[in-house]
Amino acid sequence: MNRRLGLGRLRWVFLALYSVFSVLPLLWLGITSVKSKADSISTTVRFVPTTQPVDPRASTIRFLPTLDGYRALSDVYAGADHPYYHYLGNTLVIGVLSMVASVLIGTACAYGFSRFLIPGARDWLFFILSTRFLPPLAVVIPVLMMYREFGLQNTHLGLIILYTSFNLSLAVWLMKGFVDEIPAAYEEAALIDGYSRLSAFIRVVLPRAVPGMAVTAVFCLISAWNEYGFAMTLNNREGVTVPVYFAGLQGNVQGFPWSQIGAGVFLFVTPIVLFTILVRRHLLRGVTFGTIKR
Amino acid sequence: MPTQGGEITLGRGGENSGGGADADRWLKVGFVAPALLVLISVNIFPLIYSIWLSFTNADLVGGGIRSVGTLNYSFLFFDPRYAQALRTTVLFVALAVGIELVLGYGLALCLRPTFRGKPILLTALLVPMMMPPAVMGVYWTLILNGSFGVLNQALGLLGLPELQWLTDPDLKLVSIILIDVWMWTPFTILISLAGLNAIPASIYEAAAVDRATTWMVFRRITLPMSAPLVGLAALLRATDALKQFDLVMAITGPNDGATQTLSALLYQVMFRDGKVGLASAYSYMVLVVVIALASVFLRYLASLQHRASATEAT
Repeated sequence: MNRRLGLGRLRWVFLALYSVFSVLPLLWLGITSVKSKADSISTTVRFVPTTQPVDPRASTIRFLPTLDGYRALSDVYAGADHPYYHYLGNTLVIGVLSMVASVLIGTACAYGFSRFLIPGARDWLFFILSTRFLPPLAVVIPVLMMYREFGLQNTHLGLIILYTSFNLSLAVWLMKGFVDEIPAAYEEAALIDGYSRLSAFIRVVLPRAVPGMAVTAVFCLISAWNEYGFAMTLNNREGVTVPVYFAGLQGNVQGFPWSQIGAGVFLFVTPIVLFTILVRRHLLRGVTFGTIKR
Repeated sequence: MPTQGGEITLGRGGENSGGGADADRWLKVGFVAPALLVLISVNIFPLIYSIWLSFTNADLVGGGIRSVGTLNYSFLFFDPRYAQALRTTVLFVALAVGIELVLGYGLALCLRPTFRGKPILLTALLVPMMMPPAVMGVYWTLILNGSFGVLNQALGLLGLPELQWLTDPDLKLVSIILIDVWMWTPFTILISLAGLNAIPASIYEAAAVDRATTWMVFRRITLPMSAPLVGLAALLRATDALKQFDLVMAITGPNDGATQTLSALLYQVMFRDGKVGLASAYSYMVLVVVIALASVFLRYLASLQHRASATEAT
């Protein structure tokens, strides 16, 4: 019994320690985003907000919260040609359009594999999944050459096509799981009522697949939102996304503008946190391509 | 209704409403073909194209591409940078994935019983794995900074030595592993937890009747029965960690001997040195390893599904 109690207490200590390690960096990010530059690189840990101005050299744990970091986001920094919002806009356009494309194409493909007898279906599905494992850098040069040929380099469309293709494996496998769960009886009833296959798909299956499509959309959006390798190698400074923008600031000679970076990163990851909470019940599916459901 | 021969059936569903009409044949091509077309033209074609490139002297500027036979490949085998990058990558994968698995499994054991606030805690713990690695890498340099980083300040308060996480050649890789562990332990927690939750309670009841010790129960029931999913997590993490690039770029840049992974070396040769032909040869050497691991993963997944559908059928 004693031994049991010991193990039980150890369990809470372990959980608490890891929770601090896991959660603190993101909390610290939020705190950094409302600090002045001096406070953000102070050599004492400043985390207690106060209403009084603080001497930058003082050894104190207090800091005066400010929104200067957020205001400075509309400035243009050395190492970039535009303010932060330009790159946020790029990320948004590329992320949303590639998300829509991969969900639509992926849902259609998943439906095909779910409802029709397709010769070698299993092999095709595994082929689709295997494309997920390609290292981006292994295909980037041929893609770059193709894109130069078609004038797609430095365009939003180029990245949209790439992200769509890289998210398709996820979209097909996730949607296959969701479509499999929609009873075929609904469509059969619709077919008997005189619907064509296509209109049965659009009127009967799609509405029931909407929750699954929403979950799939979130995962596709986040993966496009976070992508770095392709965005950096295929697009120049005009068309790059936020991750590339932040990485590019690193060569900044005036030192890192940490409060602005804190603010920018905070704005950039807040939607991801919200989406993660939204799809929390489906996270397991999302990260295992729909193969494990609970 | 036709039998489903080689059809894949994941969990429930997979209903096949037959259909052999001619219109249906075109319809199913219409449903499936767009996805396959995109994948073949944007993923598979470039792969084949780069096989050809790897036997040429192609460079970034373009211009006269000449075949050089197997020169790129023979160069690669004697390139000390390649051997070094291979060592760094293997070390990184082994340490990062190893720590993530042990930590994640341990935490999953702790998170297994229900307690108040568990769903909230679990969601909060899972957030880091959804974060953008490249951006988090940049942000973590603030935490790890030698003079004003909050990690060193915390270590100082605890009376521990303050370390140069970003500049000490011995510690740079450690820092990258630390960030990777922060980002991806949630992933192994999530999958381990699924493995643990799938163990039927009746087995534990039987063990309690037999008065098995806690250790015996863990050793003989919990561990072996959750192992398949932990294996899945390990394979998925390993294929991903092999491609580690974003964090390396953020912490040291692509050309630091202490942290140059295969992907970073590939980037360096391709974009900084501009040797496209050589880089394509490099990328194939990376690809062979990734494909090998991925095919192990896919086969593993197939066997897991086979087992799952078999148990469901009984």
